[in-house]
Amino acid sequence: MAAKSSLSASVDRSEPPKDSSMTQIEENTSTVKEVLSVIDSLKKQVSADRSVSVKKRLEENRQKLGGITNLFYKLSNERRSNLISDADSVSDLLTKRQKDALGMQNGLDISNGDKDNHSYQEPSTAVLMGSSIPVKNAVRPIKLTEVKKLPPYTTWIFLDRNQRMTEDQSVVGRRRIYYDQSGGEALICSDSEEEVNEEDEEKRDFVESEDFILRMTIKEDGLSDPVLESLAQCLSRSPSEIKARYERLMKEEKDAGASQNGGIEAQNWNSFLEKDLEAALDSFDNLFCRRCLVFDCRLHGCSQDLIFPADKQPPWNHPDEENAPCGSHCYRSVLKSERNGTVSSQINTEEKSNSSSDGVTARMPSRKKSSGPSGRRKVKSCQSESASSTAKNLSGSSDSEIGPRLEGSSPIPQLSSSKNKIAGKSGIFKRNSKRVAERVLLCRRKRHKKMTASDSDSVVSGGVSPRDMKLRSNAQKENEDTKSFLQKNVKSPNTGRSRRKEWPLKEGVQGEVSEVPSSETINDLAWSNSNDGLRKEEFVDENLGKQELSDHKSWKAIEKGLFEKGVEIFGRNSCLIARNLLNGLKTCWEVFQYMTCSDNKVACHAADGFISLLEGYSKFDLNGTMGNNEVRRRSRFLRRRARVRRLKYTWKSAAYHSIRKRITERKDQPCRQYNPCGCQTACGKQCSCLLNGTCCEKYCGCPKSCKNRFRGCHCAKSQCRSRQCPCFAADRECDPDVCRNCWVSCGDGTGSLGVPPQSGDNYECRNMKLLLKQQQRVLLGRSDVSGWGAFLKNSVGKHEYLGEYTGELISHREADKRGKIYDRENSSFLFNLNDQFVLDAYRKGDKLKFANHSPDPNCYAKVIMVAGDHRVGIFAKERINAGEELFYDYRYEPDRAPAWARKPEASGTKKEDGAPSSGRAKKLA
Amino acid sequence: MAKTPIGLEPVVGSLASSKKREYRVTNRLQEGKRPLYAVVFNFIDSRYFNVFATVGGNRVTVYQCLEGGVIAVLQSYVDEDKDESFYTVSWACNVDGTPFVVAGGINGIIRVIDASNEKIHKSFVGHGDSINEIRTQPLKPSLIVSASKDESVRLWNVHSGICILIFAGAGGHRNEVLSVDFHPSDIHRIASCGMDNTVKIWSMKEFWTYVEKSFTWTDLPSKFPTKYVQFPVFLASVHSNYVDCNRWLGDFILSKSVDNEIVLWEPKMKEQSPGEGTADILQKYPVPECDIWFIKFSCDFHYNAAAIGNREGKIFVWELQSSPPVLIARLSHAQSKSPIRQTAMSFDGSTILSCCEDGTIWRWDAVPTN
Repeated sequence: MAAKSSLSASVDRSEPPKDSSMTQIEENTSTVKEVLSVIDSLKKQVSADRSVSVKKRLEENRQKLGGITNLFYKLSNERRSNLISDADSVSDLLTKRQKDALGMQNGLDISNGDKDNHSYQEPSTAVLMGSSIPVKNAVRPIKLTEVKKLPPYTTWIFLDRNQRMTEDQSVVGRRRIYYDQSGGEALICSDSEEEVNEEDEEKRDFVESEDFILRMTIKEDGLSDPVLESLAQCLSRSPSEIKARYERLMKEEKDAGASQNGGIEAQNWNSFLEKDLEAALDSFDNLFCRRCLVFDCRLHGCSQDLIFPADKQPPWNHPDEENAPCGSHCYRSVLKSERNGTVSSQINTEEKSNSSSDGVTARMPSRKKSSGPSGRRKVKSCQSESASSTAKNLSGSSDSEIGPRLEGSSPIPQLSSSKNKIAGKSGIFKRNSKRVAERVLLCRRKRHKKMTASDSDSVVSGGVSPRDMKLRSNAQKENEDTKSFLQKNVKSPNTGRSRRKEWPLKEGVQGEVSEVPSSETINDLAWSNSNDGLRKEEFVDENLGKQELSDHKSWKAIEKGLFEKGVEIFGRNSCLIARNLLNGLKTCWEVFQYMTCSDNKVACHAADGFISLLEGYSKFDLNGTMGNNEVRRRSRFLRRRARVRRLKYTWKSAAYHSIRKRITERKDQPCRQYNPCGCQTACGKQCSCLLNGTCCEKYCGCPKSCKNRFRGCHCAKSQCRSRQCPCFAADRECDPDVCRNCWVSCGDGTGSLGVPPQSGDNYECRNMKLLLKQQQRVLLGRSDVSGWGAFLKNSVGKHEYLGEYTGELISHREADKRGKIYDRENSSFLFNLNDQFVLDAYRKGDKLKFANHSPDPNCYAKVIMVAGDHRVGIFAKERINAGEELFYDYRYEPDRAPAWARKPEASGTKKEDGAPSSGRAKKLA
Repeated sequence: MAKTPIGLEPVVGSLASSKKREYRVTNRLQEGKRPLYAVVFNFIDSRYFNVFATVGGNRVTVYQCLEGGVIAVLQSYVDEDKDESFYTVSWACNVDGTPFVVAGGINGIIRVIDASNEKIHKSFVGHGDSINEIRTQPLKPSLIVSASKDESVRLWNVHSGICILIFAGAGGHRNEVLSVDFHPSDIHRIASCGMDNTVKIWSMKEFWTYVEKSFTWTDLPSKFPTKYVQFPVFLASVHSNYVDCNRWLGDFILSKSVDNEIVLWEPKMKEQSPGEGTADILQKYPVPECDIWFIKFSCDFHYNAAAIGNREGKIFVWELQSSPPVLIARLSHAQSKSPIRQTAMSFDGSTILSCCEDGTIWRWDAVPTN
């Protein structure tokens, strides 16, 4: 049978079943039948197994439960005996009544014969024999004194700040039934549209038994289309699903077999250290809110769009070379000791060899001369710089090599700044390879001067050599010169030994070169290798040697990642990198070594051509990250922008939000939700902020000069309390980051940090109360009007900020759904915030949600933009005394306001002065 | 509800009555005009195994079942607030064993009545809305748990009058909580269900010190540091409508919605992710005409059988722990037409009480077989 089915399977696969001949169809039908019978029998088996297993589990449970209930029984008996032992004297009325009742029953039983015997019994403890005697007459009821009940509320969670609704709390798409307690009827509060939503089920997982049927059937009948189809029908899934599952099962089986043989691969690696920094940073990127500076921000959510400001901070400029070593493992101290050794030895050798020709000192001036007047100035600067710190020369060795090369095309003598250009420059390099080669040659010479000038030049990274390789390919002739210039001293510092080799002078070198002492030590073995035209890989191997191999192996992925980040942040400063990012993982010296090695690698990549150069730098160097990432980032933003725009269009076309009215402002326009734009340049027409009609904020990507930015205020004496202040006028809070004079004093408020308050407290900005949470104490109590109410603890003046109305941020769609239910319950805490969100304080909020509505309120609510977010502040409309209840105008629609909320004179004059109200009733808490 | 996959089908009981036992109406009381919502036997103290309490309207009544179908009134309590309508009642006791009747209802106030002194012991104010069920911890019967319309479940100590824990908040119920029950053996565990169609299992293990503290608290109860338990350890969507009654059956859970059946399922928690898991539905006990909410079932002391009334005044008695489930008996009476809100089974299941919407109490006694 299996053979037959496999035959048919192959036929099926080779050609569609429609074209197959009659015999094949017959064959198919017969197989289908067989398959079905197999499935059927399997099904029966499975269901039999199931009932057996249920039975077994129930039995187990029963036995367990039996023990428990027996314990209960024991406990209940103990309680009786406890009581009897010590409660003999205590009059237990329940027991007494019990006995009375029993006695009376007995009495009644006997009463037929002997009535008088029990005549003493009170009628109040009458036994109810029939249904006719009402209970209340039988026993005198004991009164339970009235306890005042609380006004109703639903358990709510206090919120310090607004929160966006979490997915699972949505009522959209769920069936909600409202049960009317008084009416006794249930109302289904969901639309037909949502019923459809309910239909689409999530993908179901295969359960064990389904796997069993699947496996067994296929085992029996082979893997053919009819088999799959009937299986699919049986398991009510699609055939493709079945097939995929089967393949997975097979794979798992194989894996299981393999893993048995494979044994236990010791995974003793520290999982944290094994993790890639990218992966680690991923959670940072996803969970850290850049706007609130907290992890797991409930307001802006996780997986926010990453927006990088265009005004990037310059890489860390370490203050002019504090030469102090950062610790006992600082590369400076290590180097110093080593250098002393090598230099002295070098000097010794040189002295020895130069006894015949030149001294070390004699060598230097001659070279200076050769560099020529054109290079003079730069050489000087280089000299002075390198002289100022040999250490810096070291740490920036690869940069300094690249730097001078570029000097020819762009006058950027500073090492740090020249870094930034390397990626771009390489293009030029390609184009005028020859010119560049010449330039490089020139620079190399200068550099050489510099190196000699700073007499610690013996320690130089080997990064130069690959460039020379390249040079050689570009300009063979010059290469010869360059080579001969180079004085390299790539060390394997771990061992402290450096491979040295006497470098004999080549034939045909230029004049100044000839001045170079022949005894110059060139320690770079690779150098000669490259000279011999060896490939890069070999170069790497040789150059970095064993030390690098062993070293790099011990660097874990995360450490490497951290190092790269460190270079981005601090530049090539191993002290800072080690201290701030690799603290406890690597010492400064180790970082330094790694840095040097990776430089070599970078250089090697460079030799491979420009693409690899670019890549290499993007991996290893700040320059690369700048250049390359910019391209990537931009494309990402383009994508994002497109998405935002699309959203925007749907809003427009739907015209859904346009009907929303702003609740607190006397404008017809609702506030617009701000989403930071990712523009890298000044915002143009594409800017999502512009399209959305919001200002750019400090969280946008665009530079500060962007025209669409809100510039803040310059108020000094007005304290930003009137519409004179542009912030105030725009219903925004002042932002110390943006406004000029609105600052936050630290600590005791007397302007600590050594800055005296400008002239007392008076100049303090008064438009940052929400930001600083300078709120009044609000008390919760029974309202004089209805339900709960919010009361003020201390007296406040007019326009004083009382507190924030916090809640869940929900969409308008969600709000409509919830509103339906809330309206039924006659208790709603919805508050229209802006065109995107509604605040709902029903489950999450603060005490101000309990403030009641009044047509003649003493407070008002205002939507204010605080650091890019819309928030609702409650302000005093007039002077409010301590202990007064707070009211504000919910802005009911006239027909929806509850009776007590209406003004006596037919839905007040209040409405006239603007606000077409939001349309959602909010009633007592 | 998703279709149950093959191999996980529940075993459904047959409605053909096995007639293992026969019950007869032996008494019928008209307590008043207002509907009776709860009736419960005292399983806490073996002296009072034949004592039961009912609630309806603003009245709490304590009865005794006597031989020959006799029901004697022992005590009656009336709330002075005429608007009070008690929904639930439970037996509890003080640490020294004093029997308490605990009742709650529409006012959201839990009344703890000292039955041995016939006076109010304490009143717990705190719930923001009506109380739908109160249950007592069988191992520590001075702990009670209450389910409320305010979407919270609270744990109280009737001895000291302290609200120890509130099970509500971010992971809490999203609508009225209708039913709650203590795990029989795991003292830390409770299950609650309600109008949000879910059954949630909560653990108070981390908060157990507070429970212990509540017994020795001497300061004002209001000063007690009541804790919120915001996240359940398990959430099951077994039903697609209101879940109005749930009970532990060992480690399994019996729950019912308005789908004419009681469902027995096993909560299978995922170890890595608390709060999630699956429910393995083991058995179903069909109950015809039981499609209105707030109909609760009850079990006998040893959880051998459960009795549940329906919309038409009939009672179904199921053998709980046999597989497939066996319908022990179907009780019906020509005059019992009103919806039965709750039943109570006596210690051995020989007596079944039912309280009805029309304010009547029915007593059914098993007919001795030989």
